[in-house]
Amino acid sequence: MSVDLSVDLGGIPLRNPVLGASGTFGYGLELEPFFDLRRIGGFVAKSLTLEPRHGNPPPRIAEVAAGMLNSISLENVGVDAFVSEKLPRLPEGVTVIASVFETEIDRYAEVCKRLSGVPKVAGIEVNASCPHVKSGGIEFGQDPRVLAELVRAVRGATTLPLLTKLSPNVTDIAEMARVCAGEGADGLTLINAVQALDVDLERRRPLLWNGLGGLSGPAIRPIALRMVWQCARAVDIPICGVGGIASAEDALKFLLCGARAVQVGTASYLEPRTCLDVAEGMEAWCEAHGVARVADLVGTLGSHRP
Amino acid sequence: MSAAPGPGEALRVEAEVAANRREGGAGWRLRLRAGPDWPASRPGQFVMLSPGAVGAVARLDPLLPRPMAIYATRPGDAGAEVDVLYQVTGRGTALLAEARPGERVRVVGPLGRGFPEPGAGEDALLVGGGTGIASLYDLAARGAERGARVAVLLGARGADHLMGRDDFAALDVELRIATEDGSEGTRGLVTELLEQALAERPGAAVYACGPTPMMRRAAEIAGARGATCHVSLENRMACGFGICLGCAVPRAGEGFDLVCREGPVFEAGTLAWDGLP
Repeated sequence: MSVDLSVDLGGIPLRNPVLGASGTFGYGLELEPFFDLRRIGGFVAKSLTLEPRHGNPPPRIAEVAAGMLNSISLENVGVDAFVSEKLPRLPEGVTVIASVFETEIDRYAEVCKRLSGVPKVAGIEVNASCPHVKSGGIEFGQDPRVLAELVRAVRGATTLPLLTKLSPNVTDIAEMARVCAGEGADGLTLINAVQALDVDLERRRPLLWNGLGGLSGPAIRPIALRMVWQCARAVDIPICGVGGIASAEDALKFLLCGARAVQVGTASYLEPRTCLDVAEGMEAWCEAHGVARVADLVGTLGSHRP
Repeated sequence: MSAAPGPGEALRVEAEVAANRREGGAGWRLRLRAGPDWPASRPGQFVMLSPGAVGAVARLDPLLPRPMAIYATRPGDAGAEVDVLYQVTGRGTALLAEARPGERVRVVGPLGRGFPEPGAGEDALLVGGGTGIASLYDLAARGAERGARVAVLLGARGADHLMGRDDFAALDVELRIATEDGSEGTRGLVTELLEQALAERPGAAVYACGPTPMMRRAAEIAGARGATCHVSLENRMACGFGICLGCAVPRAGEGFDLVCREGPVFEAGTLAWDGLP
């Protein structure tokens, strides 16, 4: 039996549902030595700002139970260098979604404009987990009014398929999903890293230079599954699930909870081939379970109650 | 199976453990069968190793691989054999010490840029402290092969912590040792040996790997005499190939370099030493 693994993510056709997650896949080129990027659904590149940016001083990462903390901040080559230097080196046939983050709404819109019409950019993912300067540093994705304003602005700046990546650091993630759908987002990506803190006891200070960081890895997977499930019940636009995926089984659980596609993040650090292993493993699972189309699994989570 | 890597490209393999044993004192030697596709590495390059053997069930805690210097590579019956010297310093290395022959360890490498190699007739002073010694063996061996005049200065807390000393002693290099407790060689710091050696061989190039204060002092000593100094840094890393951006260190001037990509070897003057982790 051949399994149809293709899915459509808000107007972005994917050959299979597995994408490399932004911030864990570089600009794609870094993973090329390890496998053919055309064999996975695609990847979301490292988030881009208008100008090149340096990140935070070290320590930037720390290992914690079944996961890691990071505080890299905005480090990236800038949108223009991405378009002129990184994209041309990727082979044809690789599906690339550009990720955008900025500190002000008009700058987000400007980055989106510069990505529009660029060959090889299949869509844009707006990272809403960036501190909003005018709101005193609260994340764009933490205030529904600011989030609405952001999605409206970027929607007006590009006709490319538009995904909004949601912050999990909110009380009601479904409300944020509805806001994005209402402002014309074509899809949602969730979740970003979970805000967290760990401590160097002997030196009595945080492990990270920045103090707070983002928790990622298998530790956050059940939180991500819960939030994907809640958002899938709240909106009709497709969802790309991300958070702690390290195996095909992990990925399939996200599909049952309502995700149309998934992203592999932290797992690519320890095993650069994880995306490919997950895609191949999903196919094998579907074959073994008589599932002809992987898309048929989306949102089929049952219940204990009759 | 993916194609063999191009020049300078890293490979990901599950390497069979050929041997993994204590090597007197605190040091361990892990020998891995990296296979026929394993590319030649340059002195100073490193690998990322899974924390312990890869089992039937993926280990999620500890999650991240550990960066380790490539100590030496030799041809084996079934392709390259890569040696890594390490000490048990935490959860990851404790699990690595439990890996038995026949089990497999995930290896990504060779990674990073290595040391510039000293040429024939050139004076090279290699300064190693503690586990940093492991980064220098290949450089010493190749330098001697190429006809450089190599002196290796090793320092450790005590004789027990001198990793690989017999290997260095078997090379055509001059070997000088300092221990803090005086249990072998001179009592004192390896940087004191460097001051002396550099006075004897003005114009020598200095190569250092060890604790940050040791490397910083080595760079000062070299700088005072106008000698070049390359240092090999350690840092926390999640990936080793430039995607996590976790191993950044500050440059002199502004901005950061990644230890995995621009390093681990740096010309000492390019670093902002005060900001190193």
